Amino acid sequence: MARLIRTEKEVEGRYEEVWIVVDEDALDQWPPGPLTTVGRSVPRVDGTDKARGNAMYTADVQLPGMLQTAVLRSPYARARVTSIDLEPARNAKGVRGVVGPPDLDALTDEPGYVGHAVAAVAAETFGQAQAALEQIDVQWEVLEPLLDPDEAVRQESFVSDVAHYERGDFERGIAEADVVVEADYRTQVVLHNSMETHQAVCHWEDDGITIYISTQYIWGIRSAMAGQLGLAEDKVRVVCHAMGGGFGAKNGPGDYTPIAAELAKRTGRPVKCALTRREENVAAGNRNATIQRLTAAAKSDGTLVALGGDFVNAVGHSGWSATTEGPMKMLYACDNVRTTQYPAKLNLPPMAAFRAPGFVEGTFALECLLDEVAAKLDIDPLELRRRNYADSDRPDDRPFSSKNLAECYRRAEPHWAKRDEVRARSKAPWKHGIGLASQIWYGGGGPPSYAWIRVGSDGHAQVVTAMQDIGTGTRTAMGQIAAEELGIPFEHVQVSLGDSARGPFASISAGSSTVPSMGPAVRSAAADAKRQIIEIAAQRFHLEERVLDLRDGQIVSADGGSWPLTEITGLLESGQILGKGARGPNPAGMQVLTFGVQIAEVAVDVETGEVRVDKIVAIHDVGRVINALGAQSQVEGGIIQGIGHTLSEERIVDPTTGSILTRTLDAYRMPTIADVPEIVTDLVDVPDPHLTNLGSKGLGEPPIIPTAAAIANAIRDATGAEIRSLPITREEMLRALHEAEAREKERRGAPAAV
Amino acid sequence: MELLQPSSTEEAIGALGNGSRALAGGTELVPLLRDGLVKAETLVHISHVVPRGIEGNRVGAGTTLAELEVDPQIPQVLREACSQAASPQLRSMGTIGGNLLQATRCWYWRLGFDCWLHGGETCFAKDGAHREHAVFGNGQCASAHPSDIAAALVALGATLRTTQRRLAVADLYRLPTTENRDVTTLAPDELILELDVPTPEASTYLKAMDRRKWSFPIVGVAAARFDGEVRLALAGVAPIPWKLDSPAALEDATPLAGTAYKVEIAGALVRRALAEIALTPKSPARAKREP
Repeated sequence: MARLIRTEKEVEGRYEEVWIVVDEDALDQWPPGPLTTVGRSVPRVDGTDKARGNAMYTADVQLPGMLQTAVLRSPYARARVTSIDLEPARNAKGVRGVVGPPDLDALTDEPGYVGHAVAAVAAETFGQAQAALEQIDVQWEVLEPLLDPDEAVRQESFVSDVAHYERGDFERGIAEADVVVEADYRTQVVLHNSMETHQAVCHWEDDGITIYISTQYIWGIRSAMAGQLGLAEDKVRVVCHAMGGGFGAKNGPGDYTPIAAELAKRTGRPVKCALTRREENVAAGNRNATIQRLTAAAKSDGTLVALGGDFVNAVGHSGWSATTEGPMKMLYACDNVRTTQYPAKLNLPPMAAFRAPGFVEGTFALECLLDEVAAKLDIDPLELRRRNYADSDRPDDRPFSSKNLAECYRRAEPHWAKRDEVRARSKAPWKHGIGLASQIWYGGGGPPSYAWIRVGSDGHAQVVTAMQDIGTGTRTAMGQIAAEELGIPFEHVQVSLGDSARGPFASISAGSSTVPSMGPAVRSAAADAKRQIIEIAAQRFHLEERVLDLRDGQIVSADGGSWPLTEITGLLESGQILGKGARGPNPAGMQVLTFGVQIAEVAVDVETGEVRVDKIVAIHDVGRVINALGAQSQVEGGIIQGIGHTLSEERIVDPTTGSILTRTLDAYRMPTIADVPEIVTDLVDVPDPHLTNLGSKGLGEPPIIPTAAAIANAIRDATGAEIRSLPITREEMLRALHEAEAREKERRGAPAAV
Repeated sequence: MELLQPSSTEEAIGALGNGSRALAGGTELVPLLRDGLVKAETLVHISHVVPRGIEGNRVGAGTTLAELEVDPQIPQVLREACSQAASPQLRSMGTIGGNLLQATRCWYWRLGFDCWLHGGETCFAKDGAHREHAVFGNGQCASAHPSDIAAALVALGATLRTTQRRLAVADLYRLPTTENRDVTTLAPDELILELDVPTPEASTYLKAMDRRKWSFPIVGVAAARFDGEVRLALAGVAPIPWKLDSPAALEDATPLAGTAYKVEIAGALVRRALAEIALTPKSPARAKREP
């Protein structure tokens, strides 16, 4: 029965309280541990198609008569368009449509960052569209940009309110402390750089529009574009069959979708608007830079008595301010915590969510700070974390639905015990060390989400839901859940998704929510179909429903009877059994979170500042694992992306003009396979007993969160150098080494090196 | 745009000049054309008229880096410079002649800022973002020359034969001046045909990068020993490949605020290179350290 409840909805740490209609979740959870299909390793079902180039990405969509778009983007970080003449572009070769600032909200005549869209041209070819851009005559009044986040704080230039938080009495905690550590940390801007750039193809037919788009949220695009276009939502069809990476930057329609929609309307032709790699590096969102000025205070036994910090988020021209202070508030049981977060508005490209926004940055700083405390107190870093273990969610004073971080720590022990062995590998000029960092994050998902399932006379099942697979293996995982519940082979299940016109509403794929939001709905739909099959079987075999079950493609009875499923489904002929399912509510009054710890082994060349990551062990608690292979793949991907964030990736901006200098992949350095260390994945795989019929949480984001701090702490272990900013370039590494050298000399009584 | 396919060197030279450009592997020219940094109405495809291959000390200018990195006739320093450059795909296309002529990766220059090297008034890198920039020869322009291969050839004392002359590889390069912002001495209608690569007693190439593969040098150090004497050259430290007269010459570096760390790395790599080719210098280099 449908039920109306008041609940909290959370995406990436942002809560809102909403009324929702939910279906009761009546199913008991499966027993813990790997089952027949769920919990096993299943290669992704679309892997072969992707390897062969058969998968249909938005970038592959070619419609008859389709036009290509080029976008005129502001070369200035802050300017006013005093005049713009689009006419010459309209008359240029191949051009079929041109739009400027008055035509569309997505276009501006007061650009606030380099890359802000001002005008767009649709032409027969992309080259013609680009050439026509040159014909647009723009007069700019160039204004002084605001680029420095501290200056923005001084000027109170913010994208939203300054966020204060305090629990307990911070000052009293400091007064009671035996040791107080203060340190400033900085993190850089990093770019998502998905393989498939942001893009959409818009095609008007009759009075409706079909939008092919590389997106993490089919239904969000449908709703946003219906609003922008003034259409009923069912007049907007959104399609995304395969997707070449999102990482948080593809949750909304961006500027490219409304541009393509408007040009398609004006020209009467399908229009593609695809960002170039350079545009992707400028105007497609980013993980914003942060400055974190932190304090930690502890008793001599390691008990944290105060944590505090000023967190400056360099958000950019727009976007939202992530909870960089989140880990400081949530990870440890400290009684006295005081944080202030400043969401600096700057004349720089807007942030977009990027894989655990805020927590990646905040965890780097907090977990490095914890190791500084451990060093000061001469307490083992793992032990220090255990002594400050949080048994409940402190900010909201709620119990955790489940927390197995202690088990993660226990599993970390054998790796951590190798500290001396790792250090002993040191051989000049290389110094080896080992470091760890913990992780806390959301990832519980939530309602609503729905799935349908149909079982045909051949006993095969088709899951139908209008969700998206953003490359995380959703098709495979949903197929596993349906096969498990129906008791049929995985190969007998197909999953149809990626089209808002085919199937019911489904969750956004962000905030590590796909499996925890969608999985329970799919299981619920499969259970509905299974119930009906058993009802039919009971009538056919004159048995009670309660003695019947479905297993391994057989209908089995408690007394040992067994019939192939097709004996019942075959009765349907062309008929079908239809199941429907919905995601139930999250546990009331509980905090659903994910946890983990990573241990990094690194080597540092102390003469050249080269940092080599040799190994990362990732131990995470995300509830029940659906696809062991897919989960491992997620962990590896998160760590590799984290290594880029830690060591080599940085968007660089000209400090005077605000122009983006790293626009190509030779200048913006993502890790290559040669930079990838040995990665050991260990998932606790215990269902959260309070969370849905699955007990599964999300795994998309947790693995990237502790990587930077684990590496930085390993560097400290190896060399004594305190890393204070990301990325750990050669310059930063050598600076930290010299500083450590000077500190060491001072400690020994010699005058500090100059 | 027009693509010419000359059948002889003479025909190729005749087609060059007047703004046309020679095209070989295309790994550098094609991106420069696409980005509007090189404007040419005519491309002259020279792959069939420039020698390719290795014979003893002679290397055709059309030889790819992939061919050089595996050939046992090629000195270690050059093989290592090739194998650490770019990616396998790029090395399979890029030729040694083209590699010597590649432009700086300075982001201001690459993005078409009206900078000093492009003929403007200002080097934006000096007061701007410049962690990848020069520590030598940076009075007017702080760009860094990206070629690992050029540094190796300078250390080897290699010479070039062009359609007009013979010259040392070192003499292919010139620091740009206010009057002439070019970084090479090659005439618009002159083609590099062949290289003569001397065989040293020992040699090595050491490279510091931001990641393990596919990265231009933060610092590259080429060292080659002839008759007991070591010749050194550096990549990524000056607007042109930089001949280092002695390890002590690192003391003469003029780093920018954000490039001092490069001098320290160069010092360490020079020491290692010297040790690797088994020669102890009389006065070991001590790199300057930032206070």
